[in-house]
Amino acid sequence: MDVCTFEKVGIRGTNIVVLGVEKKSVAKLQDERTVRKICALDDHVCMAFAGLTADARVVINRARVECQSHKLTVEDPVTVEYITRFIATLKQKYTQSNGRRPFGISALIVGFDDDGIPRLYQTDPSGTYHAWKANAIGRSAKTVREFLEKNYTEDAIASDNEAIKLAIKALLEVVQSGGKNIELAIIRRNQPLKMFSAKEVELYVTEIEKEKEEAEKKKSKKSV
Amino acid sequence: MAATFFGEVVKAPCRAGTEDEEEEEEGRRETPEDREVRQQLARKREVRLLRRQTKTSLEVSLLEKYPCSKFIIAIGNNAVAFLSSFVMNSGVWEEVGCAKLWNEWCRTADTTHLSSTEAFCGFYHLKSNPSVFGSCPRKNMQITILTCRHVTDYKTLESTGSLPSPFLKALKTQNFKDPACCPLLEQPNIVHDLPAAVLSYCQVWKIPAILYLCYTDVMKLDLITVEAFKPILSTRSLKGLVKNIPQSTEILKKLMTTNEIQSNIYT
Repeated sequence: MDVCTFEKVGIRGTNIVVLGVEKKSVAKLQDERTVRKICALDDHVCMAFAGLTADARVVINRARVECQSHKLTVEDPVTVEYITRFIATLKQKYTQSNGRRPFGISALIVGFDDDGIPRLYQTDPSGTYHAWKANAIGRSAKTVREFLEKNYTEDAIASDNEAIKLAIKALLEVVQSGGKNIELAIIRRNQPLKMFSAKEVELYVTEIEKEKEEAEKKKSKKSV
Repeated sequence: MAATFFGEVVKAPCRAGTEDEEEEEEGRRETPEDREVRQQLARKREVRLLRRQTKTSLEVSLLEKYPCSKFIIAIGNNAVAFLSSFVMNSGVWEEVGCAKLWNEWCRTADTTHLSSTEAFCGFYHLKSNPSVFGSCPRKNMQITILTCRHVTDYKTLESTGSLPSPFLKALKTQNFKDPACCPLLEQPNIVHDLPAAVLSYCQVWKIPAILYLCYTDVMKLDLITVEAFKPILSTRSLKGLVKNIPQSTEILKKLMTTNEIQSNIYT
């Protein structure tokens, strides 16, 4: 059950994968850089998680080691499905061992495989994993998922910018204070993970708001 | 009595009732010190009803002084946040008094200066509409109670993971004729504590009353839980009281940010 967790959204575009997360407000004296929600597992795979931060740290460390071990052993980077299966198997082991409790996290894992195909997977504490075209995890995941079901179309993900805007729009449905509480990361084919700065996110948010206003103006003109 | 393997003598369990009772009586006999401590605590416990302006005691029963036709009680921080941002934001509400209490379970030892975060109850009446806490006879009074409960207390055949928490359930007295805005609380779920006491009182004295119980997975102050109370605004009892919903939502957000205690456990 998602309790007190902040929203995370993952979208699989044609040439891009997008991960958007709701930033929680940090205490005044806290160093913001140490509160990271989107973590790179390798150059071509990253993940966002919702749930217990400490559990996530353990899972991420194991996954990162596995990524490098795989690369050294078979001389190929992991596929997104492989590392997702690894994480899911790890989580399942903890549901069936004595004296241990399950990992309290759900994760969204995105990346590109060597063949250039974008992937998005979701895992949950039981150890199941599924591939998604777009998904959300967190407290209001249902609301965000309904928004995505309505708005995820082939047009919406045709271009990279549109996919990014879709992720931001989905988060804005539930995030309380708008653009300044959104963190975004993308991976483009054959390029490393890129984290967006607050300014870049704001630019997208302003563009979205402009489009919204224009759409409303058109609507009111039509009705008149 | 029986001897164990290690040589100690222990009391053997006995199903004869009389023998057990004697043993229990002995254990319960309290020393004079226990009695003294208990009496001191009883003296310290107090419930004070204070008039707002003068802070003097309200001698007269509040309902006789301010008879009302609509009485709304919110219990718990989410219900109180809902009431203060949506209902009390519309119109001018005047605080007529408050009740403060102290007993040995309260966290502060200071009995004279009770802050408003301790066990506290405020009484407000609507200045513009005297029928709410106004001068109508007691016979037409209608009571609405709002409270929250953790979703793990909700007993159902469905798996708790699939429940759409937070969700509302209602329970009403026999004399309450209006329809509730949400499904009624099914068996075997029961209501506890103060809301149950108020509802029982209303049922016995034939006062129409309805309890709206929000089952939520977050017991601390939470925006989604407070917004789960919104369907109540469309009911007859609260309809006339709420005017400005967007403004209320803004006030609620402000309340959340001032009260937010960020914990680093969850991301």
